[in-house]
Amino acid sequence: MSTALELRNLIRSGFHRIGQILFQTDVYGYPYVICHHEDAELSTEPAFGGLDVYHGPEAAREISTYAEDGTYRFTKGQTNLKRGWVMTLENEEDLRQAVDQFYPACLGLFLAQRDGTLDVQNLRDKLNRQTGMYRFARTVSDAGAQQLVQTICGPAHQCAKRILWKIDENTPLDDSEASRFKGIVGDLPETAAIPLLCREACNHFVAECRRVAKAEFEKKDGA
Amino acid sequence: MSIAPKPHSALLIVGHGSTENPDSSTPYFEHADEIRSRRLFAEVHCCFWKEEPSMREALYMIDADEIYVVPDFISEGYFTQDVIPRELELTGPTTVVRGKTLHYCLPVGVHRSMTGLILHRAKEVAPNVNPAETTLIITGHGTGLNQNSTKAIRDQAELIAASGAGYAAVLDAYMEEQPFIAKWDEMSQTPNVIVVPFFISDGLHSFQDIPVLLGIENEVGPAASQRDAFRQNPHHLRGKTLFYTSAIGTERLMADVILDQISDFNKEHKSL
Repeated sequence: MSTALELRNLIRSGFHRIGQILFQTDVYGYPYVICHHEDAELSTEPAFGGLDVYHGPEAAREISTYAEDGTYRFTKGQTNLKRGWVMTLENEEDLRQAVDQFYPACLGLFLAQRDGTLDVQNLRDKLNRQTGMYRFARTVSDAGAQQLVQTICGPAHQCAKRILWKIDENTPLDDSEASRFKGIVGDLPETAAIPLLCREACNHFVAECRRVAKAEFEKKDGA
Repeated sequence: MSIAPKPHSALLIVGHGSTENPDSSTPYFEHADEIRSRRLFAEVHCCFWKEEPSMREALYMIDADEIYVVPDFISEGYFTQDVIPRELELTGPTTVVRGKTLHYCLPVGVHRSMTGLILHRAKEVAPNVNPAETTLIITGHGTGLNQNSTKAIRDQAELIAASGAGYAAVLDAYMEEQPFIAKWDEMSQTPNVIVVPFFISDGLHSFQDIPVLLGIENEVGPAASQRDAFRQNPHHLRGKTLFYTSAIGTERLMADVILDQISDFNKEHKSL
């Protein structure tokens, strides 16, 4: 079954959220309408309550690029998605295209996890395959990496993804708000929201590992 | 060059992306939108080194079993020869990865049709200058990581010099290796100079760093999308008239170069 049809079936079975986006069906004749979940009430008012209306998935990139304060959202799991818009979509394929723009690959990752085909990569495997300027990141200590998870991951640091990876096969992440987070924004059950999954450390995390590894090296070198 | 529709295949455009400048990935999405509008493929997606989706994540968003992977990069080099094959787990021109068949095409920048795009861009920015009194400089990043990374630019400079376009000189120059673009005035013997950045996007390097090296700006300015107005050509600097174009990858015709690379891949590797 195509990803678009899988999404249709998920919505029919009661899923109505991914990240900060709310799915609605059959609103004013539109098969699908999506908006920021905090704009839910406005989106069902006449003329969509004055929200900026976009027809079709094309505007998804523009909406998702900057936060309200102008910050560039280079990781899309950030919990600072702009409010004030609503998007109408004619079919599941357009809906899927919009979702893939707001939360790239997250739908496919969720389906793969559900089907038992998701390949999770632990941090050491990810770091050990880095080359060029990121090669040095592999020297980060376990303690340094554990600390980074707690200082840059999780909703407290604006990332809404559920971390699936460990440091290595035998070293799970230390218990923290970031490591416990389920990938669902707000108080919703797992039957109502598609979680955002982190199957391997993102490029930002690798860059931070490099920074910490260099600091650790310089500290050791200077001792 | 036309390409036969592939209704059961996906196109995956691979770009660099940036954690600092959102304009960096704009051309990739524009190229994808353009190709998507032609309805040649079942799916058209982008993935990135520095942005999301990552290359490894991208395969999870594709339904099709056959995927054409086109690096939207300007040269063969570190990214196209090391990083992309590693991240997508490619072992040759065609690789089966988790049940999907991936065809790895050459990067857009090495295609012969790029020559016409550069000449088009140069003519567009300086329509009234006499080529005989003009030096055309194609500029790129340059890196010690892979010697091939400057080859595409050197090749284009040679092709244009031999093309009969009439420029007094056609040169290559780089940000981080010799000949340095910062010395554009010293390497040019003519009153007019046109500099074409051989980059995919008007991102950090082509829109913010190189203008400082050229002397157009004193310090690195804001991203293109964050400015009130684009720069005006020409610039009268160092006793010469300088024209600085947008990055070659922002050219709308780049979508056709992506399709050209797929067409060439099929001729080379598949018997249709």
